[in-house]
Amino acid sequence: MEGLAVIEKVIALAGAVVVAVFALISLKGEWPKTGLDDQVTKLLLGLMAFGCVLVLLAATGVLPRGGA
Amino acid sequence: MAVSVAKQGYELGHGHDEHDHEEVIYQETRDMRLLGFVLFLCSDVVLFSSFIFAYIYLRTTVAPTWPPIMDGHQLPRLDTAFAAVNSVVLFGSGVTMHYAMEGWKHGNKGRFNLFMLFTIILGSGFLGGQAYEYAHAQIGGWSGSIFGASFFTLTGMHGFHVFVGVVYLAVLWWQTSRTNLYDTHRYFGLTAGTLYWHFVDVIWVALFFLFYLW
Repeated sequence: MEGLAVIEKVIALAGAVVVAVFALISLKGEWPKTGLDDQVTKLLLGLMAFGCVLVLLAATGVLPRGGA
Repeated sequence: MAVSVAKQGYELGHGHDEHDHEEVIYQETRDMRLLGFVLFLCSDVVLFSSFIFAYIYLRTTVAPTWPPIMDGHQLPRLDTAFAAVNSVVLFGSGVTMHYAMEGWKHGNKGRFNLFMLFTIILGSGFLGGQAYEYAHAQIGGWSGSIFGASFFTLTGMHGFHVFVGVVYLAVLWWQTSRTNLYDTHRYFGLTAGTLYWHFVDVIWVALFFLFYLW
């Protein structure tokens, strides 16, 4: 089970980096747009990138404190 | 002949006016529909917030230890590593949805179809992961403990939203391939679908932190 957890963490780490990069690229592309839908999209893409940071913290063992 | 040409010109001009009129009506109603949809998302935020604050209250005030004790034993923490993978699957679907939408806006239907397919597959994958986790979580079931009650209520509600989202996206995909409801200028349904999908992603950010990282 420990080995499986390590594999899962590696997959999560790599996936979070890839998704965060693409989310930030998308956010950069949306940045100049000013419509209501564009503003909401910017907010949601930013929060999604934050979610990827949380996954990175989980995969590296920083969170949860005291271990999973 | 002259009359026929004049009549043709009138019809063309008339058709053009009608098109402009339709365009104005579309733009005006689009703004209203968009505002209505954003307000709907806000109401959903309120719904999730009420359950989230109930969970925070139970965890910080009612339960002396967390995870709570059941039958003399402390319940185990949830599987963070598996949830991290499942979270990446859902967040990845948010990115593919964004690229599908961009493909549609730029008239690239091939790109739209490809990324829409990825989004639906990843969304379904997340639901499968959630089902697996429900089957293996040892936190006492829905009625067994406050941990289980909070977890299954909140993630169940979120999972239902994801399920609705997958069906919604599948319907949108079908509409784009079988009907003329959308073109590169008129695509409000796709905008709403994209916003909804990003919204379920972001709700998961909060739930992932509360149940797995806190």
